Amino acid sequence: MKNTRTIGKYALVAGMTLLSLIPFYILLYLALNNPSRTLFNGLSLLPDFNFSNFSEAWESSKMGLATLNSLIITVGGAFLIILAASSAGYAIARYSNKFHQSVFNLLLICMMIPAIIITVPLYTLMKSIGGINTHWAMILLMASNGIPFSVFLYTGFIKVLPREIEESAIIDGCTPFTAFWRVTFHFLRPVTAAVVILQGLAIWNNYGQAVFFLQGQDMRTIPLAVSMFFQQYGAQWNLMAAAAVIGLAPAVLAFLVFQQYFVKGITAGAVKG
Amino acid sequence: MNLLRKLWNNLHLFMALPAILLFGLFFIYPLAQGIGISLTDSNGMAPPRFIGLQNFVDFFHDARAKKDVYNTVFFAIGSAPLLNVFGFLYALILDRPFKGKGFVRAVVYLPAVISPLIMGYVWYFILQPDRGFLYHLLASLHLGTGGSDWLGNANSALIVLVFINVWQFVGMTMIIYLAGLQSIPKELYEAGEIDGAGYLKSLWYITIPMVVQSIKINVVTNIIGSLSVFEVIVALTDGGPGYSTESLSIYILRMLYGSFTGYSTAVAMILFVMIIIPVFLFMRYINKKEFEM
Repeated sequence: MKNTRTIGKYALVAGMTLLSLIPFYILLYLALNNPSRTLFNGLSLLPDFNFSNFSEAWESSKMGLATLNSLIITVGGAFLIILAASSAGYAIARYSNKFHQSVFNLLLICMMIPAIIITVPLYTLMKSIGGINTHWAMILLMASNGIPFSVFLYTGFIKVLPREIEESAIIDGCTPFTAFWRVTFHFLRPVTAAVVILQGLAIWNNYGQAVFFLQGQDMRTIPLAVSMFFQQYGAQWNLMAAAAVIGLAPAVLAFLVFQQYFVKGITAGAVKG
Repeated sequence: MNLLRKLWNNLHLFMALPAILLFGLFFIYPLAQGIGISLTDSNGMAPPRFIGLQNFVDFFHDARAKKDVYNTVFFAIGSAPLLNVFGFLYALILDRPFKGKGFVRAVVYLPAVISPLIMGYVWYFILQPDRGFLYHLLASLHLGTGGSDWLGNANSALIVLVFINVWQFVGMTMIIYLAGLQSIPKELYEAGEIDGAGYLKSLWYITIPMVVQSIKINVVTNIIGSLSVFEVIVALTDGGPGYSTESLSIYILRMLYGSFTGYSTAVAMILFVMIIIPVFLFMRYINKKEFEM
């Protein structure tokens, strides 16, 4: 009886694992096939292991440049979010007044507004500040997208941190401002990890706004490069699949490396906060 | 000098300013402007004329917009509950001790870290008629492939899109529920057992009330995410065939490219209202419930 239950449990878990992995397997399978073999011939489980698809897709989709663009915007945006959201969260959590309260409420409401709603006026704004096709404007925009949720996470986390953490530093001559950067900030690592990963991925994967504000060929990010490639090479599945693999590899690698912090960070930030 | 010193000592009161400035410039300001633009006949070039609520009136006579509202709501009503039910079941299963727990959790989460656009293209390879993986699988198992144009058929395409969305983000929902499950003190279950509560009873009276925080986060993010669905549709059907899978987000961008700037912004405002109402109703409901317990 107990044995059948254990077997049943493992079968269920194996099914869940396969369900999540099969599309990745199919993608890799296609990406490794010879151009002549675009079909799944019968049920042969092994592809042709043709790695030249990757180099060809890499070159014709200009994925190197796209990766660099994505990297600049993601690192810049995430860095700005950490600076702005952590200090705002500190001010809101520790120095509660009417102003901070209304800022917090406003951000909470704005969390529910999808970014697409402001595309039109944002375009006019971007044009007038000369921000179309620039890294800096995209960084500022991506950071502002991430502000509400990140402030929410930081505020919740700081509220449950004991005040004593920075109080002794203030007695020793720190101002509340310096006490935050010297002491409290280091205690925020779990939320900071959650913010970096969640917002980093959101920026890295952004398509809806990048398609508007990064129209120049040499400004393309990874999602833009992949979608352009798909429109150009619509019939060559092996190349398309290789491009998709290249496009999703950085996110997958980052996730696998930071996986531990990731789950801890989300737990600490979103649910307990 | 004295003033500078005073400012330095009180700098903490201004620490919210960078976030406010950034968010104000790139979100609040355009949002306020958008409300203005939605009341004009702006086409992005000629000077706009104030036309009051005409755009909103037009929306209610726009057959394509009605279809898009239907598609968007269909997608959300399919996605949000399924994501929550499966995310919760997944969390219950993966919360139990077994070998390789961490690995399975990571694998289930994996699809959610990839751009929905690229993930949509991956499913394209699976679902294409005549050439796709599923077609070949069905053909080699002699299961018949007559109705294999899943994305070309208006009725099945929407269901397929819901399925892909649930598949991709079930791990995200699961992680939030897992975090909630892990914060429940074991003593509660022991006390429940002593009182004679079986598995289902303790699930209903202990587990679910204790993960209310997770439920809130998941339901709200799923409502927002599914009502503003965009990328996966762009990748798979681009709104077609016809407008049968077009969502409001896609319509907003189409109108924008077509220089119907004022109208497009008005539709965006309507989408905003469509999101805020269910979120508000849900929050009110759950906060009341929480109070009762």
